[in-house]
Amino acid sequence: MPVPSNAGSHRRSRARRLALPGAAIAALTLLSSCAKDAPQDTFQPKGDNARNIDNLQRTPFYIAGGVFVIVFFVVMFCVFKFRDRGQKIPKQTHGKPALEIALTILPALILIGVGIPTVKTLFMLAKTSDTQCVINVTGQQWWWEYDYPVQAGCGGITEPIVTSGEFVFPAKMNVLLKITSRDVIHSFWIPALNGKRDAVPGRVQTLRMEADQPGIYAGQCTEFCGLSHAYMRMDAVALDAASFETWKTNQLAAYESPADGTPAKTGESTFLTQCSRCHQVNGLVNADGDPVISRPDQYVYSGAAPNLTNLMTRFDFAGASFDLITDDCRDKLWSAKPADFSALYLKGVTPECFDPVNLREWLRNAPGKKPMYADPTKLGPTDGKTRGMPNLNLTEDQIDQIISYLTERK
Amino acid sequence: MADIATPTTPASEPDTTAAVALGTEPDIHGMEPTPGAHDDHGDAHGGGEHGHATSTGLSNNKLAMWMFLGSECLLFGGLISTYMLYRGRHEGSPSPSQLYNIPLTSVSSFVLLMSSLTMVLAVSAAQRHDDRNTTTWLTVTALLGATFVGAQVFEFTEFYHEGLGFTTNLFGSSFFTLTGFHGVHVTVGIIMLMALVGMINRGKIPGNKAEVVEMIGLYWHFVDIVWIIIFTLVYLIPS
Amino acid sequence: MAIAERPSPVLARSGGTALVTPSSSLGVFRRPVSSTGWRSWVFTVDHKKLGIMYGVAAFVFFIVGGCEALLIRLQLAAGSNKVLSASAYNQMFTMHATTMVFLFVMPMAAAFANYLLPLQIGARDVAFPRINAFGFWCFLFGGLFLNTAWFLGGAADTGWFAYAPNTSVAFSPSHGVDFWALGLQITGIASLTGAINLIVTVLNMRAPGMSLMKMPIFSWMVLVVQFLLLFAIPVITVALFLLTFQRNFGAAFFSVDKGADPLLWQHLFWIFGHPEVYILVLPSFGIVSEVLPVFSRKPLFGYKFVVFSGAAIGFLGWGVWAHHMFASGLGPVSVAVFSVATMAIALPTGVKIVNWTMTLWGGKLRFTTSMMFAIGLIIEFTIGGLSGVTHSVSPSDTQQTDTYYVVAHFHYVLFGGAVFGLFAGFYYWWPKVFGKMLSERIGKWNFWLMVIGMNLTFGPMHILGLQGQPRRMQIWTEFRAGDGFFNGAFWNLVSTIGAFILALGIFTFIVNVFLTYKKGEVTPGDPWDARSLEWMTDSPPKEHNFDSIPTVHALDEFFHRKYVEDEETGELTQVTNYAEIMAEMEAKADKNIHLPSPSYWPIVLAIALPIVAYGVIFNRLLAVFGAAVLLFAIFGWSLEPSVADASDYDPPADGDNGESTKELATLG
Repeated sequence: MPVPSNAGSHRRSRARRLALPGAAIAALTLLSSCAKDAPQDTFQPKGDNARNIDNLQRTPFYIAGGVFVIVFFVVMFCVFKFRDRGQKIPKQTHGKPALEIALTILPALILIGVGIPTVKTLFMLAKTSDTQCVINVTGQQWWWEYDYPVQAGCGGITEPIVTSGEFVFPAKMNVLLKITSRDVIHSFWIPALNGKRDAVPGRVQTLRMEADQPGIYAGQCTEFCGLSHAYMRMDAVALDAASFETWKTNQLAAYESPADGTPAKTGESTFLTQCSRCHQVNGLVNADGDPVISRPDQYVYSGAAPNLTNLMTRFDFAGASFDLITDDCRDKLWSAKPADFSALYLKGVTPECFDPVNLREWLRNAPGKKPMYADPTKLGPTDGKTRGMPNLNLTEDQIDQIISYLTERK
Repeated sequence: MADIATPTTPASEPDTTAAVALGTEPDIHGMEPTPGAHDDHGDAHGGGEHGHATSTGLSNNKLAMWMFLGSECLLFGGLISTYMLYRGRHEGSPSPSQLYNIPLTSVSSFVLLMSSLTMVLAVSAAQRHDDRNTTTWLTVTALLGATFVGAQVFEFTEFYHEGLGFTTNLFGSSFFTLTGFHGVHVTVGIIMLMALVGMINRGKIPGNKAEVVEMIGLYWHFVDIVWIIIFTLVYLIPS
Repeated sequence: MAIAERPSPVLARSGGTALVTPSSSLGVFRRPVSSTGWRSWVFTVDHKKLGIMYGVAAFVFFIVGGCEALLIRLQLAAGSNKVLSASAYNQMFTMHATTMVFLFVMPMAAAFANYLLPLQIGARDVAFPRINAFGFWCFLFGGLFLNTAWFLGGAADTGWFAYAPNTSVAFSPSHGVDFWALGLQITGIASLTGAINLIVTVLNMRAPGMSLMKMPIFSWMVLVVQFLLLFAIPVITVALFLLTFQRNFGAAFFSVDKGADPLLWQHLFWIFGHPEVYILVLPSFGIVSEVLPVFSRKPLFGYKFVVFSGAAIGFLGWGVWAHHMFASGLGPVSVAVFSVATMAIALPTGVKIVNWTMTLWGGKLRFTTSMMFAIGLIIEFTIGGLSGVTHSVSPSDTQQTDTYYVVAHFHYVLFGGAVFGLFAGFYYWWPKVFGKMLSERIGKWNFWLMVIGMNLTFGPMHILGLQGQPRRMQIWTEFRAGDGFFNGAFWNLVSTIGAFILALGIFTFIVNVFLTYKKGEVTPGDPWDARSLEWMTDSPPKEHNFDSIPTVHALDEFFHRKYVEDEETGELTQVTNYAEIMAEMEAKADKNIHLPSPSYWPIVLAIALPIVAYGVIFNRLLAVFGAAVLLFAIFGWSLEPSVADASDYDPPADGDNGESTKELATLG
């Protein structure tokens, strides 16, 4: 029976002409793939845990690459070798069981070879007995809180420290994170230091952290957590042991009220009326001299707001989404050599580096800068509480005052 | 030849589904299970002179019912797992052991078990082409089922008065969901039984009545078995 | 020639019991009997018409989902684009995934299964034609219902995986999640009824002589998929019920403040969700396993191995769900078990790739568009499968999960695998279904644009993900994209450009369909020199599929009727051709062929479901009304015979018993 040949020779050659650029694109993709210094690169471990993963994951990637090349070339060989040139209809063979079984056993062996180290590494990463420092990490829409409980670990912590945005820990020390969430599921991920661990409300899960060198390491929340998921980031900051001691001392330093008559002093009272119901500043007292304890649980659905006692020891805010410093200063910090990094970090936001633009925009209209659930007319489902910071309708003067006040929070 | 056919209540929602396929295959016992024989068209469109045989020897309707019940196993599996996970979380209400009235539930479970027996009698009557006994036993089955559902409604009301609502806590939500789903299954079964009685009385069932009765019987027995599991896991094993 | 005959009112039964016929449905309505016009489609129970409708509807949803994807890629073309707001972006990726999975790939596979399965096994229809129609309308109305959420306060914004407690009212206050949960419940009914129907059809209605191991491989894969659906759908049903009860009736299942465990949802969802992956991809595996042998002129290499590996994937698919949860904190023991199980499932998948490649080996390959898509699938799916193996290494997966690397992985599996398979199927079976060939010239353009487009779109995502770009992010930052020319910004832009090339490829297909419809050449009945039963009838097939049901002697029955193999040399000689076989079948055509009659009830019953669902969301009275329609339709259905009564025809049929043959009369 005549069968229309649909593959005329000129078409075949076109297919071949197009196949080559296709292969070239694929090759180009492989060769030129990498960005330099992508801060979240999963193949550039900067600590033991991530290195364990990296050592494990390279082999399967190479094997996968090899298998692909073999499959690709065998298929291409068939395509060019066995195309219809008017040859006879081939023998109707139904397969070779021996070949099939061989080609099943071979990958099975490879997978066993991959499986054993996988399980080993898995248990290595789950170990908690050798950690010397415990830090509680709590996710909330859309920022992370770090809480250093009183302990003998971490070089000794005598009073709890609560901070957010940047997660500071001693380098070269096995740190254990106890991760949970106050609302939905988040996921804590610093690619250079370890894989992800979900922050699940109602559960406390652990994750090891270790950094070889002082430095700053980027991370992002990686479990979709609602509206502003893209704006929930974190930076992990490893300091050398001495600097970490200094950092702890700074965090627990006594509150210093601004000097009378300065804009910052006015800012303090503005802060008291506008901000302190949600944001805690340790040591702040009201007009009667009573300590001010913020009650974010009454206004924020998830129950907390970042502690601002030492805002200017950190370099970003609002879920590590917006910088407090200029781009130049940021680049200097991120590219600092490990030996210089700790000292640079401990300087905090210096007046030369401070860039108030983001903070100003934030205070003018926070939900306009970062999507949040704060429209007062639409808070029915959360009993009138916001998820995130609402627009406080501050005047420009009030904003200036608050900024002056906040720049002193070191 | 005329095959009439097959009211099939389609799966409307997985919980209320009951493929009440009222099939018209020729008497299943008279049929040669000839593999490879062909049923030329569907909707349990059996019967007729050339006596359709199916590849498996099982009629389409019955096979479909078995498949459906297989699927239902996972539905109840999911619900039971949810209950087992949450039964200890009863903050704000009496605990399961305080609430459960084991004697009452045992009696109603027994009633439901007995309904399986009467269902068997109905099927056997239907196979003897004995319409009168078929409808009688179907009615008894439905009444026993209704007694069970009645006891369940009573139980739910009691629990509610003792402080366990659907929204009270995790135990409440998962208990009412699991037993409620089962109750809905029994209720759907009762409706099918009553509809069947009505259709037999008015002669609205063409073809093989016995198979229709048998299929609804399959469903009914399944619902019973599920209850035995629920009764054991929920009521008898202490949390 | 046999013609579908009107039913006779005269009843007889071998048992001797007098039978009673209900004269018309509910004693009130005359049932629809139109064989032309829109009624013949809306009330049809013909598996072929339903297959076409499944295909058309699924393709429309494909375009909708594709537009959503383009908007997503536009938003991500640059770091802080403002194409979509955060809220719109979240809705967009949720609905993109939901649409592509539930409203495109699944129903498109159902379209192929519906149309081809009865033809491949030599049956005249499926086991339950009305349930088949009901399934289609459930899918369509469920899909439309889901999409009306856009106009009623916003679509679901929680991701297609809808992790609790982010789906609670407090965290997702629009009605989107309600629409999502109820819409999927409705399409789930379509899948469940479809599964039961097709399983019964395959198990019970094969042509004489067609043992399971002589069944075409596509039918086999469809069978495996239906079993997966049968057991997976009830699990998601439970999960969706819990969610609906949580949101609409105040239940506590996901209220963490009451002690709920958010991982419950994850387990339920992925116990469904992982088999779902195989539900999506196995039909396409079946399609290429049909296409490759035809255009290689060799039987499928290792048919039995392909069958068993398909079944093995079906079984193992149940034991790997937690590999979606390696970062959830299951504990190292569970993770180790699921990690190893996931590696194990690579084996049967690898078997398939080996078998496809070996089918090509030593063949006589014709590079039709269909064949090119099939070969494309081997290559692209291999990439997706191999990146999947790298995920099974669980510690490494904790680096990759929820990054673009995963997005790349499953798009290579689902686009390079499932969608390429579907396109191979379009080009292969188009002449079967519509009697006209799609243009091969435009087809080549279609193929190359799609190959280039998909590799440009999804290839860079491997790099983006491994360099740390997470998924489901409305924005990305230049800072975290890294330095250098080939940084994240570059690859994001490439990916967006690729997406538009891909869209152009799909547009080419639409053009091809349009031109073929307008002036395509009418095909010979057996344009590809095919191998299986569906080609052993007219193209498009008659309403009753086969004049006489063939008796099957071999796998690839049609081929072995045309060619005889010399036992010694293996040389093939053509002994007969399509026309002769057709003439032979027509000569011994069955005299009386009963076909199930059209019915109002499937569509009426199906439309009751979205009414109930709208009621649950907006107004309980409406739900009660919907339930009344539902009940009415169920009783109408139950009392309606599957074949129309003679008095329903116009003019009424007389009482002869099938010696004369008549066309189905049209009504009105």
